[in-house]
Amino acid sequence: MGNFFRSIIRASSFMRKEIFEILRQPRLIATLVLGPFLILFIFGIGYRDQKPSVRTLFVVPPKSAISAQDIQKYGKAMGSLITFTGVTADLNVALDQLHKGQVDLIIEEPGDAVTTIKNNHQAIFTLYHHEIDPVQVSYVNYLGWLYVGAVNQQVLYAFAVQGQKDAVTLHANLQEAHQNVSDTRQAVQSGDQALAQQNQLKLAGNVDAISLAAGISLGLLDSLQPANATSTGNVDPVQATLADLRQNTSQAGNSTDTKDVRLARLDKIDQDITSLEGKLTEFQSISPAILVSPFLSQTKSEANVQPTLLDFFIPAVLALLLQHVAVTFAALSIVRERNVGTMELFTVSPLSAAEALFGKYLSYMLFGGVIAAILSALLVYILHVPMLGNWWYFALVIAAVLFTSLGIGFAISIISQTDSQAVQYSMIILLASVFFSGFILGLDKLLPAVRVISWMLPTTYGTILLRDIALRGVDPNWWFLGGLIAIGLILMLISWQLMRRLIASSQ
Amino acid sequence: MKANDKSIAVERDILAPASPLYPDQLQPVQGQDSVISARHLTKKFGDEIAVQDVSFEVPRASIFGFIGPSGSGKTTTVRLLTGVYTPTDGEVLVLGHNPVTFSHNERARLGYMPQLFVLYPNLTVWENLNFAASLYGMGIFRGKRLKDALKFVELFEHRGKLARNISGGMLRRLSLAATLVHDPQLLFLDEPTAGIDPVLRRKFWDHFRELKDQGSTIFITTQYVSEADNCDMVGVQSNGKLLLVDTPKGIRHHAYGGDMVDFHTTEPFDFQAEANLRALPFVLSKTVRTGDNSMRIIVDQASTATPKLMDWANQQNIKVKAVEEYMPPFEDVFVELVRPEVNRG
Repeated sequence: MGNFFRSIIRASSFMRKEIFEILRQPRLIATLVLGPFLILFIFGIGYRDQKPSVRTLFVVPPKSAISAQDIQKYGKAMGSLITFTGVTADLNVALDQLHKGQVDLIIEEPGDAVTTIKNNHQAIFTLYHHEIDPVQVSYVNYLGWLYVGAVNQQVLYAFAVQGQKDAVTLHANLQEAHQNVSDTRQAVQSGDQALAQQNQLKLAGNVDAISLAAGISLGLLDSLQPANATSTGNVDPVQATLADLRQNTSQAGNSTDTKDVRLARLDKIDQDITSLEGKLTEFQSISPAILVSPFLSQTKSEANVQPTLLDFFIPAVLALLLQHVAVTFAALSIVRERNVGTMELFTVSPLSAAEALFGKYLSYMLFGGVIAAILSALLVYILHVPMLGNWWYFALVIAAVLFTSLGIGFAISIISQTDSQAVQYSMIILLASVFFSGFILGLDKLLPAVRVISWMLPTTYGTILLRDIALRGVDPNWWFLGGLIAIGLILMLISWQLMRRLIASSQ
Repeated sequence: MKANDKSIAVERDILAPASPLYPDQLQPVQGQDSVISARHLTKKFGDEIAVQDVSFEVPRASIFGFIGPSGSGKTTTVRLLTGVYTPTDGEVLVLGHNPVTFSHNERARLGYMPQLFVLYPNLTVWENLNFAASLYGMGIFRGKRLKDALKFVELFEHRGKLARNISGGMLRRLSLAATLVHDPQLLFLDEPTAGIDPVLRRKFWDHFRELKDQGSTIFITTQYVSEADNCDMVGVQSNGKLLLVDTPKGIRHHAYGGDMVDFHTTEPFDFQAEANLRALPFVLSKTVRTGDNSMRIIVDQASTATPKLMDWANQQNIKVKAVEEYMPPFEDVFVELVRPEVNRG
């Protein structure tokens, strides 16, 4: 029997031994398969994909320009994001309720907003909360931003409504201006210079009134013009018309001009007034709500599927779980051989480090693969997690994650002196994976130097690659997959060298 | 190495030198007769000396017993011989090579049974033995061999039990089966009979002798001093030092300064007869009365002293009932041997 065949026998003995030992622990297998599935199942049922409504109490100081009714109106504009719990004038009373947990948020209105704004300052709404969770604190800040936006929108809405009311007067001014132009034209045609002068002055007075009123009302319309109209140096159309109107009106009284020139100028004035009338009609036809908030966003995904939060997390959970199982099993594997004393037996026997490691790699790859297969089937067919890509690629990534994780585990196992040390090192790897693998925070939230840790963890690669395959339905990024396997190979070489020293060298 | 191996021809008288061998008197055994050769072997762990200047030779196809009290360095010596430990000083050759640098093929010729059970509690008796057989690269058709090994240690009926569910004695038997299963040429057995009942222990020793007859060499440590009688050569170790190496008979001889002979007469001894007996030239030291009609005396050689005693009794008109060599229990011999060392310690 050749040495190669003997090596195969020795390696297979390890594989068989490890598998038998695992199979003798059915509870462990059940825990590894059913545990994560049940957790994800319950999470899927119990997760509420909506923001909690924040119980909010408003503080309106006595001098506030904003009435309690307005406060309630602004609060309603926030929809279900906040629950309006009342209005009080006493901040201390509100704070007491906050500390007792009766409300989640206090919004204090600015005391004298009108004076502050007149002094060219922004009036400040102050938000009080009792949160320590940074995510919740960010949410409160976001709510404050939304609330102030809602208030500002309501103020602008009032402006727009008032502008549309004022537009009725403006219409009368424009009609009158039309009449002034007509009277002036008749006086010019009849050669009555004095009457023409008199009508031109009336026209000038109306144009001034129009300029003042239209500048405010129709300016809202102008702000909706394409951005390149102003960026290229063009004047706003309404402003340009008004300027044209004012210039022609002032020159309409010039008696040195010929009759034809004066009539042509009056025609131009008439056209501008008509143009302004058209714009004014348009302005009046638009809802004030649209005027103050003319734009909305809508999102259209080009992805093949729109996963739920659970769907999105499941590939990461799978990668993290497999990494942890592989690291822990491998970490305990060799340290236990050493503590039980079998390592002494190996030293005396013809067993080589490569044979022992090869057998252990095979057994744990097989075990991890079976766990992954059962878990993936449960997730896809019971929880209906999308699986758009190729199952073979999915299996390849799982195998690569297991292979590299086992390398980490074996390296830990060889440097650990006791079981508890090995478990502690495994837990550190798990903790690092939770924070650095993109499991909770995206990698872009980390400094580039810190991301080096991320790219040393199998979960990082597993999460990205499994999400790509399952949720995007694309082929794996071969560079990432190659990187993951390369790390696994390096770890295997390190483990092999350490194992050689452990088995071959004596004390 | 089997029965037809030429080394089987090693005669017992080669193993039984006329005078005890002290470690510093040992000379290297020439050629392949010596399977193990330890020269001035020393092992220190920090400042603590576990084995000090130990030298001995183990001839091929012999049973070499290593006896000593607990903590005397027996296990350390076994680990030095198997390559688990590297000597701090001195050198050791096993099968002609340094055990630390053994090749796989050389290791495959060894069988090692550690003092503690080092197999797997969650595997069955059969699976553990199968694993051990695989470690030595035994082929896939090894079932019969496993069965025979288990039958020998009387564990075949228990082959389906998990190792964690069998007794300590059964674990020792399983360890022994795992050591023997691949039919090694050189066996290192560290207290293989500890925890084994006397009947099975006897069976083990019968098997060890059978293995020796087939050409295997066995290096065995034991706390059962009486088992030294089963060995061809015995090394007595105390406080890390090897006190002497000899045959069991030679060790007894050394312990008491000669052979012991019981002299039984039909009538009681008188004081004059006892004085005359003590004055004989082949009687080495004081005599001890073991009864009215019997006397225990120490002579240089029991075989030559017995006819001389008969002649002397005839001359003295003493009617002899029996003259026989007395073999003191090895426990007594061992205590006698290590007492000076223990007292020094």
